[in-house]
Amino acid sequence: MEDQEILAKFADPASRNLAFNQLVRKYQQRVYWHVRKMVVDHQDADDLTQDTFVKVWKNLENFRQDASLFTWIYRIATNECLNFLSSKRRKFFLPLNDVGAELLAKAEADPGVLSGDEVEQKLQKAILRLPDKQRLVFNLKYYEDMTYEQMAEVTGTSVGALKASYHHAVKKIEQYVNNQSAND
Amino acid sequence: MNTPFRLDDHPRRPHPLSAPPAGYFEQLPRRVMARVQPAEDAAPALGWLTRLPLPLRTALASTLLLGGFAASLILSVTPTSASATLAAVPQEELVQYLLANDARVTLADLADLSAAAPTTASYLHASPEELQRALDAQPTDDSYL
Repeated sequence: MEDQEILAKFADPASRNLAFNQLVRKYQQRVYWHVRKMVVDHQDADDLTQDTFVKVWKNLENFRQDASLFTWIYRIATNECLNFLSSKRRKFFLPLNDVGAELLAKAEADPGVLSGDEVEQKLQKAILRLPDKQRLVFNLKYYEDMTYEQMAEVTGTSVGALKASYHHAVKKIEQYVNNQSAND
Repeated sequence: MNTPFRLDDHPRRPHPLSAPPAGYFEQLPRRVMARVQPAEDAAPALGWLTRLPLPLRTALASTLLLGGFAASLILSVTPTSASATLAAVPQEELVQYLLANDARVTLADLADLSAAAPTTASYLHASPEELQRALDAQPTDDSYL
């Protein structure tokens, strides 16, 4: 079902549930994996994915369609992730690096990461060492293959700033992997 | 010497983390719908409220709040009449109170008593005429009469 059709059906109370069910089915995997890469843990990702769709349900009537439905949903999911990570720091009074260390520990124990080769494992560690917002930019570009314009809609950041952020993220990652390989 | 790592040369894994539990994506839509449905089902009882314009809803809420406050105020201060309260006290207790208390029953108090009140006859053992005569016999310089 196309986005326009979903929106039209959602506007009609008689077909609202059906339309929303279709919307969840259409975007659930992308939202889940976007969130999962940010928070690593499946349970956290599950909670945040559900929270994202609940917010979509509550706000879809007010969706103005000046952005695409897909980037609008990503924007909600992104905000949920960033709020989750910052509230985690506030809640446990953790400095930046400690949350990174927690994510890293979870990733190191994740069978999916462990199933990758040595370089892949170093790559995942390098990505998780990036600050949250830079990691978000990296994930959207590298894994989601979004255009910078789409990323700008999701993050509310200018295209130029996003390009610079992604460029620096790649440099940091390459440097980390190379340093780790040199130390082995 | 190892070739330096370049991200562009590295094969991209779309999902580098482990897959969610089996059947997760089949169940997720149902779980999401379950979270959004209760709010919708609960709406019909007061659904008409949500359809009112915001100023009207605010006015209605204010009226209800003020009405509730006024009602509670009226209910809390409505006095039961003094005579009804006094009537509820057993007469023996009243007598004991008056005997034990330092307060004196003055002539003025007696004058205020209604001659028709049964308590007068019961406890003073005097008829209205006798009372009136006793009052008339008092010195006229009793300014409080």
